[in-house]
Amino acid sequence: MLVSLNWLKELIRLPAGVDEIARRLTMTGCEVEEIRHPGEKLRDIFIGRVLSLEPHPTREGLQVTRVDYGRGQKTCTTAAPNVAVGKLFPYAPPGGVLADGTVLGVRDFDGVLSEGMLLSAEELGIPDVEVEFGLLALPEDAPQGEDCIAWLGLDDVILDLSITPNRGDLLSLVGIARELYGILPGTELLPPEAPALPEGPWPIPFEGITLEDEGCPAYSLGLIRNVRIGPSPVRARVRVSLCGMRPISNVVDATNLAMLFWGQPLHAFDLDRLPARHITVRAARKGETITTLDGKERVLEEEDLLITSGGVAVGLAGVMGGANSEISDDTATVVLEGASFDRVRIGRTSRRMGLHSEAAFRYARGVDRTKALPALAMAMAYMRDFAGGELCGAPLVAGDPREPHRTASLRASTLRTYLMSADMAKASATLERFGFSEVRERREEAARTFAVPASRLDVSIEEDLVEEVARVEGYDTVPARIPPHLYASASLTTLMTALRRLRESAMGRGFVEMITYSFVGPEDLRILRFPEGDRRGNPIAVVNPIAADQSVMRTSLLPGLIKALLRNLRGGFRGPIRMFEQGKVFLRTDDIASSGEEHEEPFYLGGIVFPGRDRRFADDEDFFSVKADVVALCEACAVRPEFVQGEEPFGHKGRTARIRINGKDAGYLLALKPLIGGALDLDAPLYAFEIDLESLVGQVSYQFTEPMRYPAIYRDVSLLVPKGTPAAVVEAEMRRLAGDFLWDVRLFDVYEGEVIPEGYRSLAFSVAYRSAERTLSDEEIEGSHGALRSGLAAGGYALR
Amino acid sequence: MSHVLGQVEDLREQCREALAKIGSLAALQEERVRFLGKKGEITRLLRTLGTLSPEERPLVGSTVNELRDEMEMAFDAAKMRLEVLEAEKEEERGRLDVTLPCRGRGWGSFHPVVQVMHEVIDVFMGLGYSVALGPEIEDDFHNFEALNIPSYHPARDMQDTFYVEGNRLLRTHTSPVQVRSMLRWGAPLRIICPGKVFRRDSDPTHSPMFHQLEGLLVDREVSIADLKGSLEAFAKAMFGPEVKARYRASYFPFTEPSMEMDVSCVACGGKNPSCRICKGSGWLEISGLGMVHPNVLRAGGIDPTVYNGFAWGMGLDRIALLKYDVRDLRFFFDGDVTFLSRGGMR
Ligand SMILES: [Zn+2]
Repeated sequence: MLVSLNWLKELIRLPAGVDEIARRLTMTGCEVEEIRHPGEKLRDIFIGRVLSLEPHPTREGLQVTRVDYGRGQKTCTTAAPNVAVGKLFPYAPPGGVLADGTVLGVRDFDGVLSEGMLLSAEELGIPDVEVEFGLLALPEDAPQGEDCIAWLGLDDVILDLSITPNRGDLLSLVGIARELYGILPGTELLPPEAPALPEGPWPIPFEGITLEDEGCPAYSLGLIRNVRIGPSPVRARVRVSLCGMRPISNVVDATNLAMLFWGQPLHAFDLDRLPARHITVRAARKGETITTLDGKERVLEEEDLLITSGGVAVGLAGVMGGANSEISDDTATVVLEGASFDRVRIGRTSRRMGLHSEAAFRYARGVDRTKALPALAMAMAYMRDFAGGELCGAPLVAGDPREPHRTASLRASTLRTYLMSADMAKASATLERFGFSEVRERREEAARTFAVPASRLDVSIEEDLVEEVARVEGYDTVPARIPPHLYASASLTTLMTALRRLRESAMGRGFVEMITYSFVGPEDLRILRFPEGDRRGNPIAVVNPIAADQSVMRTSLLPGLIKALLRNLRGGFRGPIRMFEQGKVFLRTDDIASSGEEHEEPFYLGGIVFPGRDRRFADDEDFFSVKADVVALCEACAVRPEFVQGEEPFGHKGRTARIRINGKDAGYLLALKPLIGGALDLDAPLYAFEIDLESLVGQVSYQFTEPMRYPAIYRDVSLLVPKGTPAAVVEAEMRRLAGDFLWDVRLFDVYEGEVIPEGYRSLAFSVAYRSAERTLSDEEIEGSHGALRSGLAAGGYALR
Repeated sequence: MSHVLGQVEDLREQCREALAKIGSLAALQEERVRFLGKKGEITRLLRTLGTLSPEERPLVGSTVNELRDEMEMAFDAAKMRLEVLEAEKEEERGRLDVTLPCRGRGWGSFHPVVQVMHEVIDVFMGLGYSVALGPEIEDDFHNFEALNIPSYHPARDMQDTFYVEGNRLLRTHTSPVQVRSMLRWGAPLRIICPGKVFRRDSDPTHSPMFHQLEGLLVDREVSIADLKGSLEAFAKAMFGPEVKARYRASYFPFTEPSMEMDVSCVACGGKNPSCRICKGSGWLEISGLGMVHPNVLRAGGIDPTVYNGFAWGMGLDRIALLKYDVRDLRFFFDGDVTFLSRGGMR
């Protein structure tokens, strides 16, 4: 919302400079985004009259003029086609400065010295107000020789305000004036100079207005005859432009100026284009259409409000007029609508259609009913002044153009609770400056009731009144205290505890923490070759993504990490890369019926390890170094994982492990399928793991055993094992066979080669025997170890 | 007799000179043999005792023996000294260039936003706030309706929403966790809700995904003073004890009254009119806050005539930008390893 300080000064007398006003507005909830000085650079520009005009002796198209600008006469050249003797234009003598900062001087045009310049709108920094090519023509009644910057209103200061959606009342000059009166002590309200409404009956037959929908509680129409459509006077155009709108025509500018002033949207119909001399406001029928004045056909719903005439839609109420009845260059008679519409309905319609017109923007934020008639009066007066319109007859009014009476109460106890102090007299005074009036007959010492001003549609409950009082007083005056009454010790949650342990551990093992987007592209998932039926290949789609590569919810952390890896490699990164991320993935629920949820969003831990592009710096990474990372991460959460040979569609056939925790599948550890790695141009194996954090969260805490006082005795076993038998299976078998004194079994060598038969490999284990009670005797050890060896032999293993 | 004693003195002098010159264990051994060996100088001297009278012999004998003991001690000491020297020569040959690079994995690195999140959690946990978490795919009720933002509300224009299949949406703020927590735990309640949020927005200061931390306290007779106390304790812990806070009135549909908290610029302290961080205003917007709107308490199943409370929300990414002086929010989610490890990796 752009507010002209010059215009504002017609309503209030301000006690402070613009910086203080802006600071105060910002602190009380109406943020000033910018203070603009539109004519800041302009210097020495006067209203000049062209006294004479002759063609330049040598230069075609150039004319030499003599200009009287009040402080003398000057000669200057111009190429503008609209220059004419006797006319007034902005003139800048040598030393004058244009909007772009150009300082004018004397220029020699083939022997003719041109002093300064006659100016166009563009050179004054207001290109929007131009109505013809060339110089900015000023009206005959403009004071020749006066300061043109001030006369045009370019000495204005414009406040760019960010109005919160609850304060529809501040989308108007009168609202801003009242707000400033409320927040700035010393501000004076000036007596309003509101134009009076015309009176009497309409001189033409008009059947009237029918309101068929409660979404339109009041509707008024004003009549203006004999208008001549054309541009508004230059100063009106400048004002419209400085307030952020484009000057269109005298009639449209009149409605816009009245809207800027009162906050009340108005709509002008061409009477002669209305299908009937009657207006009906009703709900649209589903599927009904209207072509709005932007030329688009709109398909309507029952929630939309429609202005109709003779059964034909002539306007989408509160949002945009219809193309069939809009003002055109030959419009002679205007009927001007000043209506009240339900903010919810207008808000819905404009949101659904994505049509955020100035009118809809205001209606959706609340326009109180009392503004319609004063706004009509103002716009009609402007149409008379700008377009020669004839005001005839009082506006027709249907419905009740008064706002229902509303009250709100404020208790001292509430004020004291919120602000730690309660000065009710001061609170009343503050509220009264905003236009609230105390209902004295209902007064109690500690509770006061106030009539809410019609424009303050945002105020209804006690807390709203607290806010009015507090924002004027300033929140900085409220003391600060740490909230008392702890009810329990604060909980971090088991998930957060696990997240912290895992990230500290991962970082300690050389991993860089990542956050990648929760949405990925379908292509990113397709790379992983999920088969039909794998829910990770069937992601939840974003309906309105901003980019194709962010259009589905991730079902795995891997695509994001691979993307990040590739981005680093493309950026020329040559060293080893270890990344991890903890975050949610989004999966469709297998069985919606039983869970009642359509999706689940488990927290995953994912990591990738890439040895590095530059072999000279590559780390010695392989499946087992990354396995060590996974084990360490699990152990940081007091969990010991198991690994079994497994599969993933994107995993290396022979190098994919399922991670099992407490007997449940918890994720994978794998080398990326070489075909995929190749397609991604990875020239070294990529290792990846992903674990569902559910299996790591909230596990029982670590357990300790007593220190062992007697030494362990070690024996080695080396045996031939068929290649398909996992070492873990052999180890488990050994633990089963070795008896009570067994303390530990540890694999220390795996060998395949010449001396080993085809299809076999040799596994060598170190077996430790130990007792908590005594040093074991040789017999006990040999007994246990002998049992182990013979057990293994009996089980078909060839001992070496 | 004096002739032998004179020889003893000569020998002592010779030995001292010899020891002073010795530079290696081998040379030491040679000299030891020369003085103390079976055919050495001491032996030779002892043999000359026979030429002395019986009265002279004990005195001269004990003088020679003293010399021998003295020499042995000197040779032992020299040996120890030389052994250390030789060992150190060996060490010298094994000298390393300690400036050569490390082997093996170094420390990885933290993500600034996650780091800040955990730091902020710690501050508020110290003030008694428990962590609460909620879903990132939300429904309209929890994200909007229950927060006093009905479908027609213009405030919906403030937050451009991503929708996903099934008429659900990606939460636009962490506030839905407020409602879920109230429904689940009731009052009194003191929670913080950190997490990812999503808005259809992307430029240097907006990312379609970012992180918020929401706080909520519900109790009897809660004051704005409690809200200020909580947030100012946070600001001081995060930005230093000298940081100042100010409050501007604002508007959020789910709080009444509503305000925004600014802290004094962490970069310039308000002293640099051309400061890049605060754009010369001296203040940084850090949190939106207010007293929970009665409608929100009702939606959370809490009686607003008995309880009231406050809530705030803050952008963790923005705090991370300030804390680590990062220029562009999108750097956080590009996964650039050099950036994330603060230039520390190869
Ligand atoms: Zn600064």
